[in-house]
Amino acid sequence: MAIPESEALAAYSRGEMTAIELRRRLGGITYGDVLRLLSEAGLPLPRAPTAGREAQLALARKWMFPDHDG
Amino acid sequence: MTVDLKIFVVDTGPLITLAVARSLDYLLLINADVIIPDAVLHEATFDASRLGAQDIIEWVKAHRNRIEIAPTRAYQVFDAARASIANLHEPDLGERAAVEVIEEPDRLLGDERGLLLCEETAVLRRVVVQDRGRIVELSTLDFLRLLEMEQRIQSAEQVFELAGKAGRFPSRVEKFSRHDDATQAAIRALVSRPSGRPES
Repeated sequence: MAIPESEALAAYSRGEMTAIELRRRLGGITYGDVLRLLSEAGLPLPRAPTAGREAQLALARKWMFPDHDG
Repeated sequence: MTVDLKIFVVDTGPLITLAVARSLDYLLLINADVIIPDAVLHEATFDASRLGAQDIIEWVKAHRNRIEIAPTRAYQVFDAARASIANLHEPDLGERAAVEVIEEPDRLLGDERGLLLCEETAVLRRVVVQDRGRIVELSTLDFLRLLEMEQRIQSAEQVFELAGKAGRFPSRVEKFSRHDDATQAAIRALVSRPSGRPES
């Protein structure tokens, strides 16, 4: 059974569904439509947790800013 | 310009999020080439009335010396097919093109490193990366936070919150018709360059 649009949006906002899956469930909408629907529903954009990715983020920072001292 | 770092924008999310927040130039704040698969650019801009589309087109046109539109077989096939199938839409076209670009064997040479900028971890899971020590996946917010940590921007959250309010503002691109001829021509010109390499 298809879940309602509002539930799918809420699941995406909580980080429990990817944008691609959400876009497919909502009929192939664009990512811009996702932003608009989230905003209209008063839901925040999902925020990927950084826990467990500290090393990767530190590596990215080092590559982005090779002169960084820290 | 040859640099050791390449930013691969592997789905439409970062482009649209930054465009809505009027922050696309943040992608150019670090010394790196920006690579956008042709199909990702197409998905983000094919309808000029969509959120962020017109801003993305103008931004790419203004910075062609820093941005490479990477040609892909996936987009080439799609482009040929839509000549005979009106309103053809492939939801995963951008994702497939991104995978194709990242997996090109000569994409990262020598000491070059790659940042995959995306909203979707699903993209990276599909990539066969020989040396994962040379590629790091970042979300848009990760990227903005790193810029903030280095004091290149004031606030990552502010950018993200602006994007999150997208639906509360009237779209500045609504004045463009759905199939604006000039816009469509601009998109086609951007994604049809034979080499896809930046102009010197």
